[in-house]
Amino acid sequence: MSKPINYTDKCSRISNAFYNAGLEKAQIRDLTGACRCLKRSLEFDKYNTSARNLLGLIYYETGETAEALVQWVISSNLQQEHNRATHYIYEVQGEPGRLEDESVHIRRYNQALIQAQNDNPDLAILQLGRVVDHKPNYVKAHMLLALLYIGQENYTKAGKSLYKVLQIDKNNPKALWYMSIVKSNTGRADVEKRRLKNAFSHHQMQDDDIILPPSYRENTGWQMVLHIAAGLAMGAAVIFFLVMPAREEQLNDSHNQEMAQVLEQVNQKSMEIDGIEASMAVMESERDTAEADLKAIMDENGGVLSQYQQLAHILQAYRADDFPTAVELYTELNPELIEDEGMQMIITEIRQDMEERGYQVLADLAGQARDAGNTDQALMYYQKSLDIKEDNPQVIYDMAMVYHDREEEDKANELFGQVIMNYPDTDLAEKAKEIRGY
Amino acid sequence: MINFEEELSHFKPSLEVEEVEDAIMDSDLTDMADIMMNLIREGSESKKKDE
Repeated sequence: MSKPINYTDKCSRISNAFYNAGLEKAQIRDLTGACRCLKRSLEFDKYNTSARNLLGLIYYETGETAEALVQWVISSNLQQEHNRATHYIYEVQGEPGRLEDESVHIRRYNQALIQAQNDNPDLAILQLGRVVDHKPNYVKAHMLLALLYIGQENYTKAGKSLYKVLQIDKNNPKALWYMSIVKSNTGRADVEKRRLKNAFSHHQMQDDDIILPPSYRENTGWQMVLHIAAGLAMGAAVIFFLVMPAREEQLNDSHNQEMAQVLEQVNQKSMEIDGIEASMAVMESERDTAEADLKAIMDENGGVLSQYQQLAHILQAYRADDFPTAVELYTELNPELIEDEGMQMIITEIRQDMEERGYQVLADLAGQARDAGNTDQALMYYQKSLDIKEDNPQVIYDMAMVYHDREEEDKANELFGQVIMNYPDTDLAEKAKEIRGY
Repeated sequence: MINFEEELSHFKPSLEVEEVEDAIMDSDLTDMADIMMNLIREGSESKKKDE
């Protein structure tokens, strides 16, 4: 029974050796080689958890998430404790939506593969472009994309995809082969070949050999013109992009400062103008008040000064013994405007005289005017007589008669009515009734 | 030079996430130790039969 144990032990040792080789290759990013070694390791010992976990990691690194999960799930089933695979599964499945996204991109790659194999490379390239945008480590997608670009003789784009593949998996044999084809078609292979030849060639220096510095270039005429033009263009660009904005900013700053000063001056002037306008308004108001006062004093009819003048004329008429003129002037006097106490006493005396005999003078003047046919003047005198003495039925009656003669019956009837109502037992009342037709 | 059609035919679809369970179930986990043990068992059984 010792033989089976030896075989198992030997298998385990071989498995470990392959695992170590795979690990070394993985460390230098030879993922294809590492994958091959690790698969071989597992063929010898399926319980080699490290090999299986590393294989899963390599699948994950190359974008094969489902394959990685397969290895990690098997690993965690074969060794349930102290297994790094559990952590990997948790990392992939733990983030919400991450696994769904992976699934979408893998499915999209599969669709692109079907489209490519069914002569629809354009659509496949479109799909694969979206896949590698979201999943830039998806080696299979890059490889298929590179192949499709090579098929369309778009070697530059193919080279870019292959470059990304070789960054992930340095010794991917198919990628290296595709890259060699791309390089041969773009001329890159010749350049690299020449560079290698230069780097490793050995040449015996002769006495007359000249070592030119790498920066030295012999310029031809047109190259010099080109260089001068480029220099001028660069100078213009420097002026345009560096000097001009600074100068423009400086000018703007000074302009803004000037504007601010001018605006400040304008504000000050505006404030001064506002002050002057306000004082002007006050002065105009005072002037209007003064003019109104002056007008009130100078007013011919009701002004204070004119009342004093009127009073002087009345006194002068008295002095001339012209009582009718004094009466006429008195009717135009407004005694309330005269506030002087001495004058008020004179006015009181004049008023008493007017109430005693002045009203009759006015009534006589009215009668003379009526007889002369001047009814307007007659009515004016009657009214003045009534202003001095209201209780005078004769004057009211005579005034009503003037209106009656002028056929202004409404006014006449009103005055007749006053006589009838206020002086019922007088002859005048009887006459008024007769005229009214009572 | 690349034979485009032939190269294209070598590309295989990726395993999708939904297929992980089936892939695990279908995995052949037989390793060299299992094969050796079977061979030894079969050898000993045939020996017994011969005896």
